[in-house]
Amino acid sequence: MTKAFHTLNRRSLLLAGCAVSLVAVSGSAGAAAPQSGGKKVIVVILRGAMDGLSMLPKIDDPNIHEYRAALIDPKAVPLGGGFALHSGFANLAEMYKAGQAAFVPATAGPYRERSHFEAQDLLESGSVRSVTSDGWLNRALQRAPAAYSAVSIGPVQPLIVRGKAQVASWSPSILPEASDDTLNRLMELYDKDTMLKASLVEALGAEKVAGKPDAANMSSMAGGGRSGPGQYVPMLQAAGKFLSQPDGPEIAVVSLDGWDTHAGQNQSLQQRFVQFDAGLKALKDTMGEAWSKTALVAVSEFGRTVRVNGAQGTDHGTAGAVMLAGGAIRGGRMFGDWPTLKPAALFENRDLAPANDARAVFKGILREQLGWEQADLDGPVFPDSSAVRAMPGLA
Amino acid sequence: MSLLQGAIAANRFGLGARPGEILAASSDPRGWLKAQIRPDAAVISGDGLMSVVQVFTERRQAYADMATSAVATRPRSTDPAAASNAVSPGQQAIRKEIQKESRDGLLLEVQARSRQAASTSDPFAERWARFWSNHFTVAARNAQLIGIVGPFEREAIRPHVFGGFAGLLGSATFHPTMLIYLDANRSIGPSTDAAQRRKAGLNENLAREILELHTLGVGAGYSQADVIEFAKALTGWTVGGQARPGGGGQGDKLASLQARGQARGQARGQGRRLGQGVAVQSAALELDAHPGQTVFMEALHEPGARNLLGKTYGGGAKQQAAVILDDLAGSPATAKHVATKLARHFLADDPPPSAVDKLQAVFLRTHGDLAALARTVIDLDEAWGEAPVKFKTPEELLVSVSRAAGLETAYGRDQRTVYASLAQQPFSAPSPAGWPDTAPAWSGADAVMKRLEWANNVSQRISAMGSPTDFLDRALGPTAGEATRRAVARAESAQQGFTLALMSPEFQRR
Repeated sequence: MTKAFHTLNRRSLLLAGCAVSLVAVSGSAGAAAPQSGGKKVIVVILRGAMDGLSMLPKIDDPNIHEYRAALIDPKAVPLGGGFALHSGFANLAEMYKAGQAAFVPATAGPYRERSHFEAQDLLESGSVRSVTSDGWLNRALQRAPAAYSAVSIGPVQPLIVRGKAQVASWSPSILPEASDDTLNRLMELYDKDTMLKASLVEALGAEKVAGKPDAANMSSMAGGGRSGPGQYVPMLQAAGKFLSQPDGPEIAVVSLDGWDTHAGQNQSLQQRFVQFDAGLKALKDTMGEAWSKTALVAVSEFGRTVRVNGAQGTDHGTAGAVMLAGGAIRGGRMFGDWPTLKPAALFENRDLAPANDARAVFKGILREQLGWEQADLDGPVFPDSSAVRAMPGLA
Repeated sequence: MSLLQGAIAANRFGLGARPGEILAASSDPRGWLKAQIRPDAAVISGDGLMSVVQVFTERRQAYADMATSAVATRPRSTDPAAASNAVSPGQQAIRKEIQKESRDGLLLEVQARSRQAASTSDPFAERWARFWSNHFTVAARNAQLIGIVGPFEREAIRPHVFGGFAGLLGSATFHPTMLIYLDANRSIGPSTDAAQRRKAGLNENLAREILELHTLGVGAGYSQADVIEFAKALTGWTVGGQARPGGGGQGDKLASLQARGQARGQARGQGRRLGQGVAVQSAALELDAHPGQTVFMEALHEPGARNLLGKTYGGGAKQQAAVILDDLAGSPATAKHVATKLARHFLADDPPPSAVDKLQAVFLRTHGDLAALARTVIDLDEAWGEAPVKFKTPEELLVSVSRAAGLETAYGRDQRTVYASLAQQPFSAPSPAGWPDTAPAWSGADAVMKRLEWANNVSQRISAMGSPTDFLDRALGPTAGEATRRAVARAESAQQGFTLALMSPEFQRR
């Protein structure tokens, strides 16, 4: 369902006028007071298969130096337990030390092939085999324990939030806006066009919260306009703005592209890690007080090969590392199991073996942070997953 | 004579009606489309544009200048590593110039392609070419690729879109841009001497994407072992003249070694002194002699037969990959994959199975004759439904408004930010899968708001061009519904009328 953003603005009247049709679109009742106690969840999807072993090398595992010495950041910051964090994540390392960040190494969804697109679809669909037309977060919203709402940051609506429940979306805008009168007429013209009407109504609600981008954001948009490294900071910042609004949504989804490092991995990851880290800092600063009740989970569709390929990069692998951050995270520690990098332990003799299930992490966050029922998580949200227990103690 | 069918031909199969086009197509809509199935109709002239060979040749010259500049101006340092990494002001200037030329080259390519889309009288052929360009996506992901993505579409795709699928597949796969975009130029047979010496090896990227995206499709039953076998068969295919400072792949390293040697005026024996050996030296010469061309280097090719999808491919090194590609092109799985994508593009996000079956059958019967497939698409009765159902991608939207307004191009320098805002900058698809071809990817709240902002902006510019109701007639003909006609007619200003016309459900779809 949709919750209108109650910020007063010159378009709130227009939105109020849409309330009736909004219900028709979403099939649900109107807004309710926030019931999450200010708790927030941010899901960050790192598209292209982020190399978990570069972000979080297990430096006391003797095999890692044999397989990929050239890909281990010599300046990585030791976190304890034999793990270290890539030096590009200076802010995240501080958060970890302050107990506001944690990791689940060696994590994968149920998918064991190596197609980006299929893997992302399954990760977002939440199903084991066939891709559903809706995403798990959307199905979760349909069964939310309270009137939760979500916003998706980025120009393309990702599968994870698609479905019956309305989800707002937003990305930086660079053109002047249309007049309210034009909007009113357009809304009338879309009377019978469910798809366009729903989108327009949503957009009007979102626009006033995040506002217009500043000049710095605009120049980085010109590079291609999707969600590459130049967009990491403004997108995470926008998520923070939405979530920290009074009566803002409880959940935000952010897609960060550009992690498919088949060649020259060290340079490209250095840049991306630094941008991502700056985005985390910007998010934390933007959210202010609200950060203390926030749980962010960043996940990629799969990890990358343990060995270096012929081009100082890595190819598509299996298990990656999940990042957790935010004041609500019981941080400063590693969760889950570590399968080791012994030759016999590798998956198909090439990948870090999946020791933890990404769905267990999602379930743990949804359950502990926002109170979802286990039965809903095991069935409709993540079909056929009752054997995958919610990971305890994350938040 | 059917204006409705003419409007469907111009808007759904074409790129959006130019003034008079609906009428022109109406007397024989299917014949009007089929007459566009000509190889020349999908080609863009290279006049004023650079080929990949020219881009590489110029770039290499610039790098040679850079090396000379480095020798002349390199600061003295006791630390040899620092000295070799130091970049002099002269080098910086040359590097900036190279980057600028690449960006300018890309802009010229995008403008040429945009002019073609806005002004062509063979819009079905242009849509067809763009479909295949998206099927074989390359993107300007880094500095090396920026200058050569445009030439790729003109050289490897457009001349082949009405030939056989196998021919198109081969020309796309072995084009230098594709080899670089999917890292095949840096993939080396793991058991070759070259791999041992440089601790380099196989890169699976191109092999995997050919199987998954270009031919069989995901879920078609190939395994990780098949990917590796195919990747091995593709080793040896690389690109000549990739000299650049710092280097990266085998071509780069060999050639830049060579370039350095020349720049310092030293004997060509330098490679030998570095322990590279005579074979490598001649390999460097071979690569050096073919800048911007695809070169087969047997020394980099994994020797031996390959076992792929239950079949053994012999050791005829240079033919191996091409023979595998031909088999992939003829596979029923490929036929199904291509048929599904075509039906999705022309009919609906979820196309009727009957249409997919027909296309698949024609693909198999004609051995992938793309002209026959184009005729079949046009003859699908399912594709002529009255209501427009395909939600336009941002690029389709921008092209169609240019055509409806009778503009000659849809891309000027000022348009760059518009494309960026609508999230479809040409030649920057986010992954090798290309741009999405279904509505949910483009119809989110934010995306629709960006479209509205764009429409509001563009209507300010075209509102002087006449009445929005005439515009609606020219662009949509009888496809424009009663509600849209009323809204546009009652608009408070011409500009608002244009905004509503452009944002109408009918104009947003095709």
